[in-house]
Amino acid sequence: VKRGRALLVAVPVALLYVSLFVGRFEVAPRDVLRILLARLFPLVRDWPASIDTIVMQIRLPRALMAVCVGAGLSISGAAYQGMFRNPLVSTDMLGVSAAAGFGAALALLLGRSAAEVQVIAFLFGLLGVTLTYFLARTYRTTPVLMLVLSGTIVAAFFSALLSGAKYVADPDAALPAITYWLLGSLNGASRQSLAMILPPIVSGTVGLLLVRWRLNLLALGDEEARSLGVRTEWLKAIVIACTTLITAAAVSVCGLVGWVGLVIPHVARMMVGPDHRVLLPVTLSIGATYLLLIDDVARTATASEIPLGILTAVLGAPFFAYLLRKTTGTWQ
Amino acid sequence: MRAMRAVSGSAGAVVLGAILVSTAVEHSRVLSPAVSATRTITDIAGRTVLLPAVVNRVADPWHANNGMVLMLGGADKLVATTAQARKQPWFRHLYPRIDQVPAAFDEAGDVNMETLLGSRPDVVLMAYGGALPKWLAAADAYRIPVVMMPNTSLADLKTTALMTGAVLGPHEAQIAAEFVRSFDDNIRKVAARTTNLPTDQRVRVLHTATAGIFTVDGQRTVVDDWIGLAGGINAATVAGNARAVTMEQIAAWNPDVIIVGTAPNRESRNAILHDSRWRQINAVKNRRVFVNPTGVYLWDRHSAEAALQILWAAKVIHPDRFADLDVGLETKRFYARFFHHTLTDGELASIMNATAP
Repeated sequence: VKRGRALLVAVPVALLYVSLFVGRFEVAPRDVLRILLARLFPLVRDWPASIDTIVMQIRLPRALMAVCVGAGLSISGAAYQGMFRNPLVSTDMLGVSAAAGFGAALALLLGRSAAEVQVIAFLFGLLGVTLTYFLARTYRTTPVLMLVLSGTIVAAFFSALLSGAKYVADPDAALPAITYWLLGSLNGASRQSLAMILPPIVSGTVGLLLVRWRLNLLALGDEEARSLGVRTEWLKAIVIACTTLITAAAVSVCGLVGWVGLVIPHVARMMVGPDHRVLLPVTLSIGATYLLLIDDVARTATASEIPLGILTAVLGAPFFAYLLRKTTGTWQ
Repeated sequence: MRAMRAVSGSAGAVVLGAILVSTAVEHSRVLSPAVSATRTITDIAGRTVLLPAVVNRVADPWHANNGMVLMLGGADKLVATTAQARKQPWFRHLYPRIDQVPAAFDEAGDVNMETLLGSRPDVVLMAYGGALPKWLAAADAYRIPVVMMPNTSLADLKTTALMTGAVLGPHEAQIAAEFVRSFDDNIRKVAARTTNLPTDQRVRVLHTATAGIFTVDGQRTVVDDWIGLAGGINAATVAGNARAVTMEQIAAWNPDVIIVGTAPNRESRNAILHDSRWRQINAVKNRRVFVNPTGVYLWDRHSAEAALQILWAAKVIHPDRFADLDVGLETKRFYARFFHHTLTDGELASIMNATAP
């Protein structure tokens, strides 16, 4: 168990370190090392300032962003799959992605700057889930079925608005921007954008980790959980709030990255089983590693950036198909 | 059958046929006086298109070409246009009637067939990038002639001007010829000082295409053409318009000059100048980051004002070699001559900064 715990931290950290050495710009590994060490020890800075920028301002924020987004989306997916008692649920269940996507498209349509696009997408993501939550609320409860249906309604509504935004977008400017945004990319990663998404993602993740053992009870069903003394309405509200903070923040900076929130929890479940006390931390670690790896490919394979959404799905879909065949759709 | 279609094999014959419009007026008049006079034009897709001898009603689903029609003096003939062409602030400023022209085409060039039919066009002018529009069969069925024109290089722009003029009428054709002469003059003026520049004296230029998300214009585009003509080298080694690239790739290209295309240009320029990730790039270090001017249409695209773009780009890319070139004055002359509008200094600044007049 102890070795397992160490691996959960060591693998993503090691990959994060390796990620700083790969990229389109030729930087000698020796220089990367010295640039990193110079942050800790007083070294003579005889390397060009440009490569310092590459490593510290471009590669490091982007790699950290991949870790945060990958970890956040995966743990959110795992929490939702537990709460909804459905293995096919992913983070956009309650309409957060559709709403955030529309917010971003709207901002791009109005020609707003990258930072404004992020803020608007984030706020729309929160708005979408808020609408879903209150739509699903009946007699002070939010039954799972009502949540799912309300989420479908809200997602359909914002998807339609998003299509409308694409329909009126200028094909020379706004339309390609919206299309690229929807396919997902971590190219917007900078220290500023990282600082913007860290608070919601970290607080959401910590929140989910704190309630993870109660998720086991919730997975039994609302009535059973209530009979065991769990305040299910509060717990559901907390889980929804945490995942929404995480997903809206992730989507706002890197667009729609599919599959991570759906597939990674399954990988983790195959490795350690359905107990959320173990499942959530493992999902977190695998998600961080997976997206970091995918993004390393996205940013180095060709001169033009390969959209993340394409890579995660191209690699994610066959795996999910394999999983589906192997488990024949049964779960736990 | 009014709309005859034939495919010509020779590319040379296509261009020649496109410019030399054959008139079949007299024949048809003699044979059957009831049939109105017609003429034919061979378009860039190699199709022989039958047009009325006099074109009075034009539908233009091509954003940039609406500005061309305005410049050629044919804007009063526009009966259908696009939403984006109507949105261009400078177009509206110079030609307010555009607000009353229905937008029969959406942003992607798809048609609302009923609006188009209702506008009763004599001809539709369309950009040809290798594919015919999917609504062409419907247009054929309603006997609306569609003329395809090229749009992928600066040379294509001249062909487009001449073809548009030829379709519109003799007066417009004359202005088109005048425009092409002035365009060629500008090209010669710039090329005289840049053609023989060795590679090491050429400036590496990056042209950005969209705001919000970072995309650049690569090889084999109109943008690539004017960068080369103005004595630069396109720093972007990818091919095509508006390609998404990574921040690190841009750092690896390390352009000497960055030209910010597409609104909001000024905000995008400021974002680049103040972003720490860009700080070590030559263009930012030397503060050679420029807003691309926008007038009746975007200067950097397939628009009539590309004639000015090449002068402006030459001055921005090689200020020392073009020290005697007054782009402001040239711009005022061009607008006076072709748009019949005397620019004030404030209006000139609005065009140069790509803001609304």
